[in-house]
Amino acid sequence: MSGHALVCERLTVSPGGSPILRDLTLEVRAGTRVALVGPSGAGKTTLLRAIAGLEPLDSGSITLGGMRLDGLAPHRRGLAVVFQEPRLLPHLDVLDNVALPLRAAGRPRRERRRHAAAALAEVGLAAHGDRRVHGLSGGEQQRVALARALTGDPRLLLLDEPLAALDPNRRSDLRRMITEVQQRRRLTTVVITHDRAEAAELGDTIALMLEGRIVQHDEPRALFERPCGAAVARFFGVANLIPDGDAVLAVRPEHVRLEPDGRLRGLVVESVYRGDHVRIAVDVDGRRIHAHVDPAAAPRPGDEVGLELVTERTWRLPS
Amino acid sequence: MALPLGALVVRAFADEWRAPALVPQDLGLRGVRLAFTGEAASAFMNSLEVALLTVAVALALAWPAARALGERRLRRPGPVFLLLAAPLLVPSYAIGSGLNEWLIRLGLDGSTLALVVGHLTFVLPYTIVVLLSGFGPRLTALEEMASTAGLSPVRRFLLVTVRSAAPTIGAAALLGFLVSWSDYGTSLAVGAGQPMLPLVLLPFVGSDPQVAASLSLLFLAPAVAALAVAVRAGRRPL
Repeated sequence: MSGHALVCERLTVSPGGSPILRDLTLEVRAGTRVALVGPSGAGKTTLLRAIAGLEPLDSGSITLGGMRLDGLAPHRRGLAVVFQEPRLLPHLDVLDNVALPLRAAGRPRRERRRHAAAALAEVGLAAHGDRRVHGLSGGEQQRVALARALTGDPRLLLLDEPLAALDPNRRSDLRRMITEVQQRRRLTTVVITHDRAEAAELGDTIALMLEGRIVQHDEPRALFERPCGAAVARFFGVANLIPDGDAVLAVRPEHVRLEPDGRLRGLVVESVYRGDHVRIAVDVDGRRIHAHVDPAAAPRPGDEVGLELVTERTWRLPS
Repeated sequence: MALPLGALVVRAFADEWRAPALVPQDLGLRGVRLAFTGEAASAFMNSLEVALLTVAVALALAWPAARALGERRLRRPGPVFLLLAAPLLVPSYAIGSGLNEWLIRLGLDGSTLALVVGHLTFVLPYTIVVLLSGFGPRLTALEEMASTAGLSPVRRFLLVTVRSAAPTIGAAALLGFLVSWSDYGTSLAVGAGQPMLPLVLLPFVGSDPQVAASLSLLFLAPAVAALAVAVRAGRRPL
């Protein structure tokens, strides 16, 4: 199995009349995963729905493996979608739910149940085939939805926040499962998440969407450490944007060190315990500098501290 | 409910039951025989035919209307919901009389079509309201899933839409059938003397209580059958 490259070119989509995607361009290399991140309302789900054929395009084109998708009905696009909710059919058992894409393809019942059983085994639910979907937990239902998506041997896999409704442990399990399945099948995959750490784990690349456009699409480290603008830096947790001549110095809070003789001096104005670190805010000449420090050595509000920036980890942005 | 229904069953089979006796003096099948012959029998068949046709047409018309309302495609649904509540507010005979003026001029009064159209004025709103509960974001979400899973529109309709909405469709059909089956006012107004079960039943109430009881049991039969189907469906997992 080999993947197909996805190219979305200059998409404008206006569900309900007002444009949500504006001249958006996104390229996904064949057989790779892109994690689509962005704040609520940025248009992530609209993009996924447009690729799936569930939202009409105002303009632009979508190609998969060189074949135009726009203009094709959703059932002819040869892709699979895992939605935020599992969307299982309550009148079918688990195996028949998983076999749905093969039923659509008109394959004989015995063959489709055999393929469905294999897909169920791939997501670790081999023993659940004859169960009713209502008897499954949320995590199991989402794994059934993933198995269903895989059964049709799609050319493209779209996942719309598939982990959103799960607790942290199940999230972690399913996240691992998604990456393993994708790597095994070399399936071109677009996965939406609003969690930037999750995006770093789920995506070979990350595409950040803001106001209907992709503002940066690169490897995860690039978005975290070399953001192309202040908005990207802010989204990826670069809490310190310090004016420096005609540019802005972007510094992550974990790259600010407490140094008794540090060049930056100020008073601690905020201190929040976060489990594995303490986030402090220090007032330096009227500007707040944020730092992550070891809980064992964390200063208290009102303490005077010295700070030093890890210069090799700072990044200059155009102002 | 069991007490009056029990008395009705006894009355239907009591050839002689004079007050104040608690049990009939003579049992027999005279009432049942009369209920299944002559005008009563044709009234039963007429009512059945009209109710089935009315339900079929009502479902066909209500389906797109309920989808539009359920998916909130109307900007101002308020007046539509007010119209849907109209059958509760307007007497059926009044609507039937007004409708009959048109049907006479079209030469349709007294026909099966006239009765179906008359019954539709009441059955259609009920059907829409019941169907409405089965349509909405949940069904749309399943249909979207089915499309992306590769199901053609026809297969999607049969396998997902109809199967998912089956309990609602069943409930709408049953309610529509019972509203049409038990309608008196509209049938009286537009029927032009066509025998319909509720119309035939009423004169016997004063003149022959045994036949009236037999016809009442006949009248009850679809409701009992509907209840049995609903109980059976309720036991099955969806």
